[in-house]
Amino acid sequence: MGLFEIITTANHNLLRNKARTILTILAIFVGSFTIALNSAINTGVNKFIDDQTASLGGEDYIMIMPEGAVEGMSSLAMGGASGAPTEYNPDKTMSAFTDEQLNRLKELDGINGELYVTKNYVVDYITSAKTDKKYNINVMAMPPGDFNIAMTAGSLPNRDSKKYEIALQSGYPKALGFDSDEDAIGKTVTITVRDAVTKKYKNFEATVVGVQAPGVVAVNGSVITVSLQDALYDEVTKYYPDDQKSMVYSVQTKFDTSKYTESEIKAILEENGFYGFTISDMMGMIRTFFDVIMIVFTIFGAIALVAAAIGIINTLLMSVEERTREIGLDKALGMSSTKIFLNFSFEAIALGFWGSAVGVGVAMLVGNLANTVVHQPGGFLEAFPTFHLFNFTLQNVLPIIIIVMVIAFVAGTVPAWKAAHKNPIDALRYE
Amino acid sequence: MNKVIEVKNLVKVYGKRSTAFEALKGINLDIFDGESVAIVGKSGSGKSTLMHLLALLDKPTSGTIKVDGIDSTKLSNRELNKLRNRTFGFVFQQFFMNPNDTVLENVVLPLKIAGIGGRERRNLASKALETVGLEERIKFKATDLSGGQKQRVCIARAIVNDPKILFADEPTGNLDSATGDKVIKLLFDLNKEKGVTLIMVTHDEDLARLCDRQIRIMDGKIVEGLPDDPKGEWVDGKWKMKVTIGA
Repeated sequence: MGLFEIITTANHNLLRNKARTILTILAIFVGSFTIALNSAINTGVNKFIDDQTASLGGEDYIMIMPEGAVEGMSSLAMGGASGAPTEYNPDKTMSAFTDEQLNRLKELDGINGELYVTKNYVVDYITSAKTDKKYNINVMAMPPGDFNIAMTAGSLPNRDSKKYEIALQSGYPKALGFDSDEDAIGKTVTITVRDAVTKKYKNFEATVVGVQAPGVVAVNGSVITVSLQDALYDEVTKYYPDDQKSMVYSVQTKFDTSKYTESEIKAILEENGFYGFTISDMMGMIRTFFDVIMIVFTIFGAIALVAAAIGIINTLLMSVEERTREIGLDKALGMSSTKIFLNFSFEAIALGFWGSAVGVGVAMLVGNLANTVVHQPGGFLEAFPTFHLFNFTLQNVLPIIIIVMVIAFVAGTVPAWKAAHKNPIDALRYE
Repeated sequence: MNKVIEVKNLVKVYGKRSTAFEALKGINLDIFDGESVAIVGKSGSGKSTLMHLLALLDKPTSGTIKVDGIDSTKLSNRELNKLRNRTFGFVFQQFFMNPNDTVLENVVLPLKIAGIGGRERRNLASKALETVGLEERIKFKATDLSGGQKQRVCIARAIVNDPKILFADEPTGNLDSATGDKVIKLLFDLNKEKGVTLIMVTHDEDLARLCDRQIRIMDGKIVEGLPDDPKGEWVDGKWKMKVTIGA
């Protein structure tokens, strides 16, 4: 009996008790279906994030903090669960840069000299002459580095422009009373802040130079020129003592991508007591969030597969029981234990194959249908035509089928072993 | 006379210690090429146990069985399987057919196990079915056959690999006398025309009488039918009973 014959015999035997076979396959189907959909979403989301990252650019962008500050942040985030306080080290304070640190950072190999201080302040609202309404807004200065944010109209402001300019987020032009994104370009909007002490409002006029396209990893805020940022910050911190006003918690800069890779520059920074945070780190955080969700769903699928494996054991044990006399005859006629073991193992593998193949197949149908539906007008991904939520590739589909077949084989070893080690006479006499 | 099976001091004990039951108590027996032997005895006498051991379907507690001069206790599993597959044919009282398979599929089973290719299988199966007179039923499902036809298909299955020794365990036990006679004739034809050694277990004395030799078992021992039995004699190179048992 060759391999082909063993496979056809296995499938033939499975068809003897169709109801039982179909129910077992159904159990495997549920697990494979769940895992296939998860895997496809995972691939889809990651691919989308990759594409977005690639289109975003900013490979040379890096945000740098003193190492101590990062440790301070992380111990806050962890809730100080470790309990033990860290020892005071003047070079590793949990706060801002020292002048010495900033000077050292500036001289560091691979850092292109100019450091842009990240300024933290809150804008009260944005409005325009065309509306009475005021809107919350988050603004950020155009980051250094080679960014390429997708725009629906206009362009990003020039970082070094002395003019007060802004690239609005998607949705703002309509809210601010402009007819369209294009209509807003060149128009004036009003940004209002309050100083931290007197709480008096002060308006700043800015020219709209662009409108950003929506995107899940787009810049988190409307982008303004550095000159506008400085003006807003100066107003908010007007009555701060000078030393507090000039505190530097983090800086942004470009690093020399031709000289160092991302991990190299981060290692250099770490050696010098700094912590670097790049675009891919930010993407990594988004990814981690999705990964955790995916792991949870994959666990559900895996639990379903464990149940299915027990189903396979049960199905085959019943089959061995029913076919005891047949096994006895096979052995009497000289069939080896190995071959009998193989016959039952291949039945298990065939169950695994059909269950997972149908599971993956249906998942592909459902996933591709869902891809179409979510991009329809009114679908929740209407705005992201390039985002294929379910992305099926050979690399994510084939391993599922193979793994399920392996699980099925392992589950099948118990009944197969039982069949293979029957005494021919006892088996023939079995009633 | 060629000995096809040589049995020495064969003992078979079932169970252990206090529950031990000695089914065979030191059997010595030779079976010669081309003879027809009936193993007779009351139920529980050990006749089925003896046949199962002769057919190497079970392992003796002690003693040796030589098949064609080869000591079966020294064979590996693989060689044992091969020996059973090539040298033996089996016909059982309960038929043991796969009911949902066709006649052809049932008959080719020993060839399939032997690893013989599809076309040759079919040819050999057709020939075997021709011998039993059922070649036109080759595509029938096994369930659609009558009892006599089923047993004839089983005989076709038993002879498809051209065995040297044919074991028949109560071959007519589930058949009425008319169909039983047909099956018996078939078995003896094979014995006489093809020289297949026939070893038959039966409690039917009339059937046993048709064989060259009757080996009577009682309480795990052979009481009649050995070559030195004064009741027998050599006729034309075959050992035959002088006095017909049960007559």
